[in-house]
Order: sequence, then C-alpha cells, then structure tokens
Amino acid sequence: MQQYLLSGLLFTPLVAAFIALFLPSHASGTFKLVTLITCVIQVVLLLLMLSVYDSTGGLQFVEQHAWITLDLGSWGILKAEYLVGLDGLSLPLVSLTVGVMLITTLSSWTVEKNVKGYFILLLILNTAIIGTFAALDFLLFYLFFEFMLLPMFFLIGIWGGARREYASVKFFLYTLLGSILILVALIALYISVNDPSVPGRLVHSFNLLHMRDPKNFISNAILDPNNPWMIGPLSARYWAFLLLFIGFAIKLPMVPLHTWLPDAHVEAPTPVSVVLAALLLKIGGYGLLRIAYPIFPEAALYFSWLVALLGVISIVYGALTAMASKDLKRLIAYSSVSHMGFVLLGIASLTIEGVTGAVYQMVSHGIISAMLFLLAGVLYDRTHDRVIDNYSGLAAKMPVFFAAVLVAFFASMGLPGFSGFIAEVMVFLGAFKSGSANGLLHESFAIIATLGLVLGAAYYLWALQRMFFGPFHVKGDAAAIALTDLNNREYSMLVPLAIAALIFGIFPQPLISWINPFAQHFSDAVLTLGKSLTPIH
Amino acid sequence: MTALSFHTDPTLLLCIFAALLLPLLSFGASVLTPRQYSWLVSFNAPLLLLVSAICAAVALTSRWNDDPALFQITWFTVGDQPLSANILLTNTSLLMLVVVSVISFLVHLYSTGYMAGDNDLKKYFAMLGFFTFSMQGIVLADNLLILFVFWELVGFSSYMLIGHWTEKLAAGQASKKAFILNRIGDAGFLVGLMIVWANTGTLGITELLSSGSTYQWQTAASLCIFCGVIGKSAQFPLFSWLPDAMEGPTPVSALIHAATMVAAGVYLLVRIHPLFTPMALTVVAVTGMATAIIGSLAALFQYDIKRILAYSTMSQLGLMVMAIGIGIVNAALLHLFTHAFFKACLFLSAGSVIHALHRAQLRAHHHFDVQDIRNLGGLRQNLPVTFLTFLLGGASLAGIPFFSGFLSKEAILAAVWSTDSSVLSWSLLVAMVSVSFITVLYTFRMIWYIFMGEARKPLPVAPVEPPVIMRMPVVLLALCSLWLVVSWNPFDFIGWLLPEAYYTHVAWVTAFSVVWIAAALGVSYFVFRTARFDSNAILENAFYVDAAGSKVLGKIVQISATTASHIDRKWIDGLIHGSAYAHITIAHITGWVDRTLVDGFVNGVAYLSKGIGAFTRSFQAGKIQVYIFWAILAIIIFLIWTLK
Repeated sequence: MQQYLLSGLLFTPLVAAFIALFLPSHASGTFKLVTLITCVIQVVLLLLMLSVYDSTGGLQFVEQHAWITLDLGSWGILKAEYLVGLDGLSLPLVSLTVGVMLITTLSSWTVEKNVKGYFILLLILNTAIIGTFAALDFLLFYLFFEFMLLPMFFLIGIWGGARREYASVKFFLYTLLGSILILVALIALYISVNDPSVPGRLVHSFNLLHMRDPKNFISNAILDPNNPWMIGPLSARYWAFLLLFIGFAIKLPMVPLHTWLPDAHVEAPTPVSVVLAALLLKIGGYGLLRIAYPIFPEAALYFSWLVALLGVISIVYGALTAMASKDLKRLIAYSSVSHMGFVLLGIASLTIEGVTGAVYQMVSHGIISAMLFLLAGVLYDRTHDRVIDNYSGLAAKMPVFFAAVLVAFFASMGLPGFSGFIAEVMVFLGAFKSGSANGLLHESFAIIATLGLVLGAAYYLWALQRMFFGPFHVKGDAAAIALTDLNNREYSMLVPLAIAALIFGIFPQPLISWINPFAQHFSDAVLTLGKSLTPIH
Repeated sequence: MTALSFHTDPTLLLCIFAALLLPLLSFGASVLTPRQYSWLVSFNAPLLLLVSAICAAVALTSRWNDDPALFQITWFTVGDQPLSANILLTNTSLLMLVVVSVISFLVHLYSTGYMAGDNDLKKYFAMLGFFTFSMQGIVLADNLLILFVFWELVGFSSYMLIGHWTEKLAAGQASKKAFILNRIGDAGFLVGLMIVWANTGTLGITELLSSGSTYQWQTAASLCIFCGVIGKSAQFPLFSWLPDAMEGPTPVSALIHAATMVAAGVYLLVRIHPLFTPMALTVVAVTGMATAIIGSLAALFQYDIKRILAYSTMSQLGLMVMAIGIGIVNAALLHLFTHAFFKACLFLSAGSVIHALHRAQLRAHHHFDVQDIRNLGGLRQNLPVTFLTFLLGGASLAGIPFFSGFLSKEAILAAVWSTDSSVLSWSLLVAMVSVSFITVLYTFRMIWYIFMGEARKPLPVAPVEPPVIMRMPVVLLALCSLWLVVSWNPFDFIGWLLPEAYYTHVAWVTAFSVVWIAAALGVSYFVFRTARFDSNAILENAFYVDAAGSKVLGKIVQISATTASHIDRKWIDGLIHGSAYAHITIAHITGWVDRTLVDGFVNGVAYLSKGIGAFTRSFQAGKIQVYIFWAILAIIIFLIWTLK
C-alpha cells in the first residue's frame, strides 16, 4: 500500500482531468469542484505519506516498473523505467506543490472564460509538476518536464492579459531552448551509461541513480570520466554540465536568462502566476541538485565560482531591476529573480548550511511568492491596474489588505520570524564558510550578496510608501469605488500561506531535519567524488 | 566569565518567560481584537505590560548579584552544529529587562491618554507590545543569531510605529528611512555573523566569550558587528533616521529613545565587547566621539522640540559608545540606565506639551506648529506639572548635581580621566567635557524657549494639563531622574548599580564637574534669557551628513536601478527580440526560396507533365475519326515493320 502512495498522489489529477474531459462544458461549477476534490485528496495522501516518512531513511516511497525496454541487438538494450521516489530534497517540494495547488484552485474560482479547458490544464500541470519532482529516471523526468510546458503555454496564452501572446511565446521559446539543451545532455548520458544490474549485456539506462556512479559509465563513451577526448577547451563532461546548468538556469531563472519571467508574470492570470513563481521556478534549482551536480561533480566543482557569481549577480541585479519597476507584478517578478539567486549561491557553496539554505529557500520562496502574487491579484481584480504610482494612501482604505501586504513584503525581504530569513541566513553562512571549509567560493560572494538584503528592503518599502502612505488617491473614480477590503475567499488563501511562512520561520527544525540528511549526503558526495575524478579541462 | 549555573528554578523561569512573552501576548491580543472593540486594547495592553514589568522585577530581585545563569534551548541543528536559543541571566540582562518593561509599561499607560481617539489603536498597541517583546529578546538572547533575529524585529516594529500615521507622507518616508538605514547596518552585522560562524563554528555569546579564541578576521568581524550598532544606535554616519523618526507618535519616540531601540546597540556592545580587537575598539571610541559631538552641536541649533531631544539622544549614545570603546563598560551601562529614565521623562513631557497645545488649538481654531519652540513660551504657568517634570528630566540630562545624569556622566568622566594618557584618551576627554557643556546649553535653551518668558503665539484658549493617566507616568519617570536610583550619595556614583569599585571615584573630577556645569548654566542663562541663537544651517542639518549620504547613495542606487532595467529591456530582451527577428527573416528567406525555387521546380515539373499530358491527351479526345486514323496508322506501321 505504502509504495503506491506516491503514484496515487501523482496520477490523481490526471485521472481527474480524464473524468473532467467527459463532463459537459456548460456546468462550469463541476470543474471547480472536481479540481478542488482532487487537491483535497492529494492533501490527504500527502499527510499519509508524511506520517510514515523517515527523515533519516534516504529515498522512500520508491516505485520501480519497467516502462520501455527495447532490444537493439548489438547496440545494447534501451531501458527506461517508471522509477519514482522521494527524499529530503523532493519531499519538501512535493509538499509545497500539493499545498500551492490547493490554493491555486481556490484562487481560480473567479475564472469565467472556458472553465473546462482551464481546469483540465491545471490538473495536467499538477501531475506534471509532481512527476518532475518525483521522477528518478531521466527520461521520465524529461517527459514530465516537457509535459509542464504545454499547459503553461496555454494558460498564459489564453487566460492572460493584453500582451499574453507575446508573453506566452517568449515563455515557450525560452523554455524550449532550455529543454533542448537538457535533451542533448540526456542523449549523451543515455549513450554513456550502462545499467550494472543486468550483467553481460550492455543496457543503456536513464536511471539517475546509476548516472551518479562513475563506474557505470561505459569506457570511452562520450561522457566517460576517463575519456581524454576534448571539445575545445573542455572535456565533454564539462560541456554536458554546462548544458544542464543553462537549461535549468533558464527555469530558475538566472540573470541573464530571466527576461521571460517578468513578461510571463505580468500577463499571466493570478493563479497561473502563483504556480509559475511558487512551483515552476523550483524545478530549476531541483534539476541542479538532482541531476547536474551529482552526475557531473567534477564539473560542478570547477564551475562553482561561476554558479555563485551568477547567483550573486541575480540577487543584486534582480533587486535593482525590481526597484526600477513601475508595475507591481513586475516588481514581484524581479524580486523572485533576486531570491532565486540565493538558491544558486547556496548550491554553489556545497556546504551543508548552504545546500540546506538553498532547499529551504525554494520552499520558502514558494510560499511567500504565492502570497505576493495573490495580493497583486487582489488589487488587479478590483481595478485592473497594477501601476504602483496610480495608487496612494491605500492603508486607510483597505487596512486588512495593508496588513496582508506588510506581512508578505516583510516576509519576502527576509524578516526574522518568516521562512525566508532562515533560508537566507543559512545560505549566507554556508557561502561565507565555503571559503575556509572547502575553498570553493571566495568570501566576497557572500558579502556582496548582502546588498540584496538592503536593496530588498529598499524596493519593497518604497513601493509600500508610494502605494499605502499619504492621502488616499486612486487613478479613476470607478477604481476608487471598486477598492474593497479582502473578502473571505482571499482570506482563506492568504492566511494559510502566512501561517506556513511563520511556522517555517519560527520552528525550522522539522523541515531542516528533512533537508539536512539530503544536504549532508549531497555536499559530501559531490565534494569527494568531484575531487576524485581526474580533472580534464 | 565564571562558571555558569544551569538553573532550572521553575518560578524564575516562569517570571522570565512571562516578562518576555506577555508583550507578545499583548501584540496577539491587540491584533485579534475585533475592530469595533478596539477600545479594549487600551486596557489590556498596559495591564499585560504591568504584569510583565512585575515579573521582570521579581526575577531581578531573586537573582540580583547571583552567578550568571544560562537556560539552554536549542533552536535548530544544521548538520551537527546546533543553533542555540539560550537565555542568559546576569545582573546586566535582568536590569535591562526591568528597565525595558517598566518604561514600556509607562509609555503604554501614557499612550492610553495620548492616543485616545486614534483610528488605529489596535495597530498602535499591537506594535508597541511587539516592540517591547523584540527588545526583551535582545536583552535575554545569548546567541548572536537570536540576537540578530530580535534586532531585526526591533527594526520592523520601529518601522510600523514611526509610520503609524499612514496618511502623513512624511511618516512613510521617515519609517522607510529608519528601516533602510538599519538594514544597511544589519547587513554589516550579518557579515560579522558569517565571519564568526566560519571561524569558530558557533554563534553562542557565552561560548565565544569563554573560548577566548582569536582568529585572523577578528577585527573585520568586530567592525562588521559594530556596523549593526551604528545603524541601531544612530551613530555616525547612519544617524539621520533618528531625528526623522520624530514623525511618529511622541510616546513611540520616548520608547525608541529610552529603552527599546537605540539602547539595543549599546547593550550589544556591552555584551560582546571582549570579542572586539583593540583596533576595533579604537574605531568604536572614535565613532562614538564623532557622534557625540555632531549630535550635541546639531541639538543646539534645532527648533523642533522633538528633534532637539533626538539629537541629544544621539549625542548621549555617542558618549556611551565612546566609553565602551575605551573599555569603560559599566559606566556606559550606568549612563544607558539613567538616560533611559530621564530621556523617557523628557519625551513624554514634550508629548504633554504637544498634546495640551493641540487640544487648545482645536478648541481655539487657531493653528501653528506646536513643535517649533519659537512658537512656544511661558508654558510654566499653564502646565506646571509638565514644567516640573521637564525641568527634572532636563536637569538630569544636563548633568546637574543631585540628578542621576550627573552621576553616570561623572562615572564615565572619572574613568576616562584614569585611563592611560594618550592622544586618543586626551581627545576623548576634551570631547566629553565639551559635549557636557553643550548639553547644558541646549537643554536650558529648550526650557527657556518653552516654559519661560511669555507666550510667543498666545492662544485664546489657555492650554491645560493633560489627564492624570498621562501625568502619572511622567512624574514617576521624573522621580527616577534623581540621584537616588544610582546611589545614596549624590556625589558618588558607586552605589547599588556599580556595587564593586570598578573605577576609583576621583573627588576633584567631581568638583570640576560641578564647577563646569555651573559655568555652562551661567552661559546658557545669559545667552538664552535674552538673545537668540541665529540659525546655523550647517549645524541645523547636522553637517549635511544625511543630505550628502542620502543624495549620493540614493543617486547611486537610482542610477544602478535604471541601468539594470535598461540592460534588461534593451540588451537582454533586445538580444531575444533580435534573434526572434533573425529567425523571422530567415523564415521569410526560406519561404521565398520555398515558393520560387523549390515550388518553382516542382511547379515546373508539374507544368511539364501537364504539357505532356495535354499533348498525349489530345490523342484521346473521343473522336472516332481520330481513333480510326491512329488505328490505321498503327496497323500500317505494324505491317511495314513485320513485312520488312
């Protein structure tokens, strides 16, 4: 029973989408209900899983089935498996997905256009995201990864704002570029890796766990660590790492590969923005931690300074651009860029603090960015205007909204007591310690990154001052009338998120005790393996 | 540090946690009170704070002069390194606990009168409670990270309180400035934490103090942590938020200046100064000196009653920081203690003046800026109690004998005097003496302007004293400005608070102080009784440190922000769009190639075959005659071919 829980969690939305397909499209309420029930079932399944999860137990809920087995004669056997499982990295992210999806469903209650299509896409997206986090077979991962792109494209392109077509095409092209780079690495890995479990035959496997062990590489295959073959200045393994890195960095998004994000966010409807910021961005960080780093540890060590540098650039650059943003959603989008920079910095440090902080930051940002985009949506729903300068003195008119924005903004700028603080402090401690502990990063990376804290306070407080302080004024009389305080549905979405951010900020131990074994194992493995492999570059 | 007793006395523990958490409870209760019952908070908030103060006092009396005690709590563990949230009880921390909760209680009490009728009492009392809680956290924390947590929360509470009146634009700006300047300091503090963590693997203060290890980056670590102090305790150059913070309600100013915010920096220094390297301590001393001088000179030329007090706080904090910099920690702490009471007293008295005049203005329908001392005068007749409390507080600030300020300042002076003579200690001594002199000047300038002489802008309705609920806390604080809170002897600072002879009490320093203060009093009498100080723009703007800093820094940030945004739109998106256009252009070219060449070829082939088809089709047009013709022709050819 236990081993099917994960598959249950994974495929419930797909089954629901299939059922929804046959429901009459005029009964729009049923689709909302079906999606909501699906999410509730997922919550129950997740709670069941959490109750049996052993934080020191490594991979759990593993389910392995043969999926594609093709005997290619002298070329060996192509073997792809249905292999899923959760560990200290994926469990927090899967939990985040389940929670955010529930909130997204509530937030989608106001959708009026083509309700059937919308909720079916949302359900497909749900499966795809959980699948990406759960898959341990690279082909399966890639399948889910691509599977995410399509619903997202349509959700932005059909239900989005005025420039939705531009945004959705930009999103699609960027992500497609990333997918292609990952695909190249995927094929190279497939050619190079042998499944040791079938002795005597050459079995090309997509199993991510096999890919981590240098012994499983076929000698003189393109990605074999002992292959002296060079492409330009670097060996093929380093190139493969870079391909994966760029592919996932686009998702993260990392400066300078980030410009799809603000446009996608600005045009996307509120619930889609929430999914995008809270969940899709995490796949970038997840991919680095699950695939790029463990499979190519020596390249990871070699490029750690680059990863950290780009992380720091993202932190500072994202914050600066956020400050120059006139659109509230754009500001929040750039703040996401800034905050995801911490994930890169934490991973690059390869210290237990840094990696724990990076994973913590992914969860924390998921919660807080969901809150931020919901709040931007609250305002947009009422006035259809997101320009910061068109508002003034909202505090007096919408006191509860003001309180909610205060909570979200201060949580996002890393105020202690909220989850972001724990994450960022750990990243800082880890990144700084890296200089003396493993010699990967210079101390100045962490020091420069603290600029992000100051700039973060500056752009948020400046926005607060412009929008909420002073005498009440809104552009347009209709807008002034439409500005009512939060309603119950909005409450029900925001309060759980705020409570979650607080709980993870005040009682970090449970989440940390999930992440810690993973972080420990990850950083040790990458460091020892990376140093043991002969550096060819 | 002596051996720690790991105390688990349940009553004591209960008292400590009550003192710490009751203000938090007050916050929670205020937030959860329904809006229509918001008057309730002005009852329960002071009540909870009273209980908190009593608990703190019980804890203090039960553990006074005991060995330091440590309650061990683990917050979370990263890898195998635990981050502790230990609570340390020493004389210092317990005393601060009491000072914070008592002053906070008095401010709460005062606020019930001062803020009566405010639209957002809920938010006000909630944040007041949270402010107190955060400060109590700093006082008790024995871990630098936990301290940092509360440190930032203090910043957040001050943001909320300074910006309490959201409809005032200036309040929004001032609160933003306070938080950002504090954040700049905090970023430095955080770097300090990183250095300490990377080099020692712990952030526990007691552990760090007892290990006594030194490491390479220690000066850097000390200075980085000191950055946090510069921000929080309004030291040069991050002081300008403090005068601006006067946009907040006056009781809040009292709290910020006396107990809950600026005191945090000095308290942190007191706790961790042994970790500082000598070089770092010199920087601390010089910074403190600069701040003390700038603050006192700026105070001399302000016209806003609250801004005078703000700059005076800054200058007094400078003295404390300076004292810690040269190792006079207990004297600095003593001054922090006495300052808390007399500054709270002065602020609340100023609040009473403002309150009384506002109410009079409302009734008289006559409006002028009541905080500008040039508009005031002669208030001693209308507000005798306030006059008296202001006078007592002012006398203590000026360091008049028989007041607490005299003793604490003298403790610093005597200690500065007895340090080794060097250029630094001599310049500190000169600075200290001049600052004391200027302090007397601006204090009595203020008193003369506000209370003496005749009203400069008389109101048709005479102002009346504020209600008892506001007068009572002020009177209590005024009484706490007397020498008795320090020791029984008005000329000897060694008493209950400095029980052991940390410093030798130098009799002639005392004598000199008395003469010096008397001279300053005389000067201030003759200068301010009749003549007025002309405004001095440089000093009024505190040497333009703020203007220059804000302008330059603001400009840099603004330019970088627009540049970053420009890069985003023009370069990165430009590249994307460029590649998109390139794609489209290529697509058009291939499209043309497709249409003209490939399709042309295909069409050509089709055309050819069509031509051939048309030609061959013409043979089969359905005409019998033609068929017969071809048939006969074929037969003829066949016959010719076979018969050949």
